[in-house]
Amino acid sequence: MPERVTLQPPPSMDDAARRIEAVIFTAPRPVGRDDLMSSCGLDDEGLTAALSALQREYEGQRHGVELVEIAGGHAFRVTPACEEVVRRFAGARRPDDLSPALLESLAVVAYLQPTTRAEVAQVRGVSSEWALTALVERGLIEEGGRAETPGAAILYRTTDRFLELFGLRRLDDLPELAEFALTVTETDELRSRLLANAERRRP
Amino acid sequence: MGERVIGAGPELREVSTTFDDLHFDLDVFDGPFDLLVTLILREEVDLWEVRVSRLIADYVLRLADSDEFDLEATSHFIVLVAALLEMKSRRLLDEGLLDDGLDESDEEEAGEELLVALIRYAQFKAAAQRLGHGYAEHAGRIYRRRPIPQRFLRSGSAGSRLPAFGLVDALVPLLREPPAPDVSHITDLAVSLVQELRRLRGLLGRRGSFTFAAVAPRDRLEKAVTFFALLELHNRGEARLSQVRPFADITVTPVGAAAAARDDVAAAVG
Repeated sequence: MPERVTLQPPPSMDDAARRIEAVIFTAPRPVGRDDLMSSCGLDDEGLTAALSALQREYEGQRHGVELVEIAGGHAFRVTPACEEVVRRFAGARRPDDLSPALLESLAVVAYLQPTTRAEVAQVRGVSSEWALTALVERGLIEEGGRAETPGAAILYRTTDRFLELFGLRRLDDLPELAEFALTVTETDELRSRLLANAERRRP
Repeated sequence: MGERVIGAGPELREVSTTFDDLHFDLDVFDGPFDLLVTLILREEVDLWEVRVSRLIADYVLRLADSDEFDLEATSHFIVLVAALLEMKSRRLLDEGLLDDGLDESDEEEAGEELLVALIRYAQFKAAAQRLGHGYAEHAGRIYRRRPIPQRFLRSGSAGSRLPAFGLVDALVPLLREPPAPDVSHITDLAVSLVQELRRLRGLLGRRGSFTFAAVAPRDRLEKAVTFFALLELHNRGEARLSQVRPFADITVTPVGAAAAARDDVAAAVG
């Protein structure tokens, strides 16, 4: 006779977790830690514990939404398994793809921000006016004041929407720019190619 | 980089601009036009980043809005804009123009500069590719997007409780043409300053001296017009005004041409 096992219901969330769940549920955008602490009457330690409890509640495929840390705050997000059905229901479509020119311009702004259009053009070697305008229209970058240099050019910076669409909790989550530096071998190859081109064009 | 301004023309540096109020608010520059030109010449603002067509469009709009047409300022503007366009055009041909002038050491230096620029670009290009992967993975994720219900907001505006038709009712009276104001209390002046000047000149020519009280109309406003006409005659040196004491009647006597005209009239009549 097999031993009878009684399944216990999972322990219910504590009051703090329920409160932050309610606030995140009603918030129109990701809610930062400061807002959660002040609205729910929690200190830093209490918030961390409550968030952990809430995250445990929503993990493990038990719900159609998950709790994620994104764009400087916490938000509910549809789980990948349920995305298709939500798209069918809400008619939501994916944001348009970004062209290489847009991604390059965005990368320059993301790493050098706040930065000017001239600096973006200098890095890319081509005028980037159209690209920056398109990025502003898509809400990925925004104007952030004027440079204190001759001409007082407009400064650009990334937005919270940029963090959200690229799955970043904060700007610090961007990989280090140094990671993308060319290796010595790659630099030598580039130099050799340049020299070869120059030789070919020499009269 | 100074050498790259080949063809900018020394005349461009010598043109003095007088665009005190010509201010441009561009993406790469916010300030007066002459400063923009100076910064371009100093290469502190990249000419490639300045849309000359935008400058021209802004200027033409400004001209259209202005009642005055300053030929000199507009001529200077056209000269400077033409020079900027020439600079841009020549830079397109830099490669060919510079081929003859570059010696081997310059060529090496230019090559190194290009290499540094390409290495930097390659770094950002790789970063962009990584960003692209992140975008492909995360851009389609669906977040809870729901505005906070109005009743949960700390303070709802009074307007948010009004029905939409209430807004229409409030706007309609504002859109109606207001009734013409009642101006019946304003006296319609029978005389103008020009008319009074003409009349007083005639009197000076025919009569010579006269007093203000003798020639002024009865209406107070018209009297004021006559007084202004007398002051104008005095300013122009056509009449002399005198009083024996303050607030006494004003005696008007002809001076210069007016006196001569009176003498002519007297001679003709005599």
